[in-house]
Amino acid sequence: MRLLIIEDEKRLAENIAQALREAGFAVDHAADGITGSHMAVQDIFDAIILDLMLPGKSGKRVLTELRQTKSRTPVLVLTALEGKETIVDLLNSGADDYLAKPFDLGELLARVKALIRRAKGVSSTIIQVADMEIDTVRQTVKRRGQEIDLSPMEYRILQYLSYRPRAIVSKQELLEHLYDFEWEHHSNDIEAHISNLRRKLNLQGPEPLIETLRHRGYRLSEEASS
Amino acid sequence: MNQGSSIARRLIIAVLLLEGLAAVLLIVAVIVNEHQDEYRAFDANLRASANAFLGAVQEAEDSSPNIGLDVRRIPRTPHAVYRITDGEGHVLGTQGPVPELTIEPDSFRRVKIDGHSYRFFALDGERVVDPGTPTAVVHQVHILYGQPDGRVWHEIWEATRFFMVATALLLGVTAVLLVWMIRRLLAPIHVLASEADKVNSVHWSFTAPAVAMHLAELRPLASAMERTVNRLQRSFEQQKRFTRDAAHELKTDLAIVKSSLQLLTMKERSVEEYGKGLGIALEDFTRLEDTVQQMLTLARLEQPADAVSPMCALHQVLQDNVTQSASFASLNKVTLAASPVATVFVPVDARDAALLCSNLIVNALQHSPDHGAVEIALRSDGTSATLTVRDHGEGITEEDRPHLFEPFYRGDPSRSRKSGGTGLGLSICKAICDRAGGSIEIDNHRAGGAVVTVKLPLSNGQLERGTGPS
Repeated sequence: MRLLIIEDEKRLAENIAQALREAGFAVDHAADGITGSHMAVQDIFDAIILDLMLPGKSGKRVLTELRQTKSRTPVLVLTALEGKETIVDLLNSGADDYLAKPFDLGELLARVKALIRRAKGVSSTIIQVADMEIDTVRQTVKRRGQEIDLSPMEYRILQYLSYRPRAIVSKQELLEHLYDFEWEHHSNDIEAHISNLRRKLNLQGPEPLIETLRHRGYRLSEEASS
Repeated sequence: MNQGSSIARRLIIAVLLLEGLAAVLLIVAVIVNEHQDEYRAFDANLRASANAFLGAVQEAEDSSPNIGLDVRRIPRTPHAVYRITDGEGHVLGTQGPVPELTIEPDSFRRVKIDGHSYRFFALDGERVVDPGTPTAVVHQVHILYGQPDGRVWHEIWEATRFFMVATALLLGVTAVLLVWMIRRLLAPIHVLASEADKVNSVHWSFTAPAVAMHLAELRPLASAMERTVNRLQRSFEQQKRFTRDAAHELKTDLAIVKSSLQLLTMKERSVEEYGKGLGIALEDFTRLEDTVQQMLTLARLEQPADAVSPMCALHQVLQDNVTQSASFASLNKVTLAASPVATVFVPVDARDAALLCSNLIVNALQHSPDHGAVEIALRSDGTSATLTVRDHGEGITEEDRPHLFEPFYRGDPSRSRKSGGTGLGLSICKAICDRAGGSIEIDNHRAGGAVVTVKLPLSNGQLERGTGPS
């Protein structure tokens, strides 16, 4: 999952970004409203964390303009302003959630995860695909009750695919959503991770869970148990 | 109108008092006039009656040359009192208890008889018996005639009573009319008051009602209220904005500190990581502390000044600050030069003067490009000191100019935050200058960059010694 933080306060953005990266997200940062607005409309982010008081362009304008492009990316607003009206106003402008500063970093993480889940159409923290179970809180994967040890990137690829079962996910999409701009990577990293993932998931007997469709991408199949 | 005095009541009382006084004077005048008229008629009546008695004196029935009184043709007056005597003192006729009186002939006098007031008239006349004959005898006749004058007073009372009642009635009617009219006249005051009553911290709009603005007496009050409310609103809004901005600033700083510490607790870390994290958290704390410190400084400077006026050597303070900032300047590859530096003593606390100098220098350094220069000059013209700090940065925009000294105002918010300013530096500078009775301005230099000009009065000591320019 890839997140965008639009926050002019450098230290705060650094802390949030670090916390999110440690939780397994790819994170990009914009320090002003104009850059933030440009990045947000690219539709490569799974959620946006938006500060209200921004230089260049106010957070509210960034939000309004984002919603005008029909973008459905969930937005969590950070505000230091008091008052119910602002909150009502924000939610009416298209914000999905808000947190008042000074906030709890743990709460921020939980809210971001909940927003992403809801945006992907999943309500539970445990995702069930065929005979595989993914616990998104503890970040563990089990197949037929047997725990499978995955590297962080393998887990992230699996989680991303599991949010879109039966759909074909291109390599480009995976690259966009799993790496941020600061993350050095090669274009064939994805292939390597997928092949490792497939090897670890393929226990004796059952069908392979991840299909590769040449030149199109990857698909998580749900009929593996048949 | 329940407590204290009221203009309406005073007006009503004053008008009614004047009306009452006029009525009383009028009634007195009428009574005096009536009194004179009645007495004139009464006296004429007395005189006529006395003359009638004179006419009733005639020859006696007998052939003596004496005279007698024939009252048969005189109408009887019940309460009349009279005595008619001849020259020898013989009483020709009398009625009632005539007192012993000596009155000048042809004159009136009032006398009390048995508690009743009487008015007497004395008439002296002559009666000639057998006139035109050699035996004609001239008789002197003295007539003293009186009547009770209580009746006259009664007449006067009767004549003025109607007048008094009418006056009292009129007074009552005008009093009622007066109350109604004054209420009506003062109604704009009530309208103004109720309009002013609507003003509170949420609803600030106050426009003087038209009825109040129509009245020449109320217009100054109404427009003064309008101006006062507007001034109050401005200062209230300023306060509110300051509080809001201060809260925002503190919350942001707090959010940083809190997130820095929470980040450390999110998972097990190595000792080095903890150490580094704590160091960063401490830095964040220092910034929070700086913000609070600056807010407190601004609050202190906005308090009224002490009675004892401080004094400091601005040239020394400036030199010290230039020296202290040299390392920061060289770090930013900016040259910092102060020349000329005149010897000036200003009525500013030494700590505040240092704050002023360091804020201005730091501000100039922050706005300087790499390899730029900051030029500082301190001059004196004998009555005031002028400190100028010039940078070679981008200068200021017309848009920012009116707001530069507002607390937490940032022409470019991201830059100020990154460079560590809280947005209070220039506000503090202005507060220091204002407190000392000086001024501070920011302008663009013709050759580019911004120039801050601080003007401060010289302290009394230096003015007396006359050590002006150097």
